[in-house]
Amino acid sequence: MSILLDRHTRVLVQGITGKIGSIQTKWMLAYGTRIVAGVTPGKGGDRIEGIPVFNSVEEARRKTGAEASVFFVPAPFVLDAFMETVDAGINLIVVVPEHVPVHDVIRMRAYAERHASRGLFALGPTTPGILTPGQAKMGIMPASLFQPGHIGIISRSGTLSYEMAGILSSAGFGESTVVGNGADPVTLTTLVDILKRFEADPDTHGVVIVGEVGGIQEEKSADFIAAHMTKPVAAYIAGRFAPEGKRMGHAGAIIRGSQGTFASKVCALQTAGVDILESPIQVIRWAKKTVA
Amino acid sequence: MRLYEHEAAGIFADAGIRVPGNALASSPEQAASAAGHIGFPAVLKAQILSGGRGLSGGVMKVFSTEEAHETASKMLGTPINGMPVKTLMVVRYVDFHTELYLGVTVDGYTGKPTIMASTAGGVQIEEVARKTPEKIVSALVDPQRGLYPFEARRLLNTAGFPPEKTPACADTLVSLFQVFQNVNAITAEINPLVICADGRPMALDAKLEIDDSALFRLGEGIPKDPARGDSPLEKKGREIGVTYVELDGDIGIISSGAGLGMATMDIIGKRLRPANFLETGGGITQERLYQSMELIMMKKGIRAVFINLYGGINPIQEGAKGIVRYVRDHGLTIPIVAKALGNRQEETWGVLRAGGIHVVTQVATEHAVDRLIELIDAKG
Repeated sequence: MSILLDRHTRVLVQGITGKIGSIQTKWMLAYGTRIVAGVTPGKGGDRIEGIPVFNSVEEARRKTGAEASVFFVPAPFVLDAFMETVDAGINLIVVVPEHVPVHDVIRMRAYAERHASRGLFALGPTTPGILTPGQAKMGIMPASLFQPGHIGIISRSGTLSYEMAGILSSAGFGESTVVGNGADPVTLTTLVDILKRFEADPDTHGVVIVGEVGGIQEEKSADFIAAHMTKPVAAYIAGRFAPEGKRMGHAGAIIRGSQGTFASKVCALQTAGVDILESPIQVIRWAKKTVA
Repeated sequence: MRLYEHEAAGIFADAGIRVPGNALASSPEQAASAAGHIGFPAVLKAQILSGGRGLSGGVMKVFSTEEAHETASKMLGTPINGMPVKTLMVVRYVDFHTELYLGVTVDGYTGKPTIMASTAGGVQIEEVARKTPEKIVSALVDPQRGLYPFEARRLLNTAGFPPEKTPACADTLVSLFQVFQNVNAITAEINPLVICADGRPMALDAKLEIDDSALFRLGEGIPKDPARGDSPLEKKGREIGVTYVELDGDIGIISSGAGLGMATMDIIGKRLRPANFLETGGGITQERLYQSMELIMMKKGIRAVFINLYGGINPIQEGAKGIVRYVRDHGLTIPIVAKALGNRQEETWGVLRAGGIHVVTQVATEHAVDRLIELIDAKG
């Protein structure tokens, strides 16, 4: 079992003819992902790794039954591609690119919320994507670090989700699904939306949140965890030593005054009963205690 | 990217927000002459990118040409919060009673613009936000519908603005919201907004931070200089396409992701002192890692280097070649430990080992940091 994505999901790749899009298509196919189509406007009729390329999402969906889409579209074109994809009826959208203008994300988020009732779920921008071990991946996660299992991982950071999964896998635990929430100041979904999915998934026995300084996502998820999560939750927050006012690589990883600090996140999560991991390697001890 | 006050004030004025007439000065002579033209008392305001200027001698009232000259020469020679003051904005002093506050920002959680108002404006606003946040009221704005004056009036009523001034202040807030939308701002603030003797509001300060990712599509009136305010090493990082933040230790760090970089900094920081944060983002090439090595070694006294890479979107085998080439070119002998996992990891390890770099193949960064400490200790 898994959330959001499995080996049957019919996946579309937008920006498939680009340098990153074509390489990542190869890796996703090698992992077993059921990629059925690619889209690059103006390149319809091409084939990448044997996958047919279409000019529009609507055409790709009509001809291949694509139901989920992963974006390798240059940042300035993401807003347009997103609107097109929502209108074409695709219900799972993974926006990998970074540097998408925040005001575009605000519009994308509002549009996605208008279509939430039909089941639309969108991740990113600046997300490594989703990976369900042993089944499929949409995004850029390096396959070798993941093993099938029962721990759900939600991360704002790509590389740190690999580290967390890799540590669990090497200690004999595995993951149900690994989800990148996105590292921008505004994301298309919240930690809470993803926690809800893991709470409802019978195959997920515990959840690890990989957070970082900046924003109030972790603080808000603490309220939800205290009120609604029955499964054990652990959290690691990166950036304990991050100086105030400096953007730590991610557009959203910036401490502004008293908001977004390490202390405020740890305090909120601890109060909600979350096990705080001092460093990623402590996840092994937590997993042995709670999920084994 | 933060704008200087005079740049933001110009954009505010174009949007119909009333600001005091001003002139710029980069020498005491210019400041004295500008103040003479504008009339006394005048105010000299240091143009820097950090907040809290009013509390650190960055805003001074002067009553004569001589005093303007003397004060300006002092201000132009005194850095504020580590930032050199190169330009002064000279404005006419405006008499006022109440200091109000208006702001627009992005609420990261809901993904909507937020409008904010307070009657406790002035230099202490950050203190107010910390100690009595209830004095700053806010409301979310539907991004598709936009902001209407009645919503701005409703917010200002809640904040306790004087009722007879509320309509004019609300119009200012609507204009500020339009600026926020037009320039793709992260935050737009007026602090303080004051009521002048003629009863109309005026923005005595102008603060604007623009989203770096949107600069490419903004018009000619907007400066395109996101590196302003960076230290020299941070600027160099930006030039080569990485994020560099200088810290005060002696262990150089390179990581291929932001979260991983912060975690690496945290783990190293427990037992050693990180010299920097550096993350390459998703565009690793041989050249970029060569230049990243060059950058972290520019800081004096680096005694070891720690490299933490994941091959997801990044070709780490290429990055490894750049690192090894730098070490060879510069005959580097300090301990260097690398952890590199993901796509093409074996090939990457081979390149690194052949270049004399210590490779740790376990997943957890802690193990690799243990190895680094062993090597540092062995060196004595």
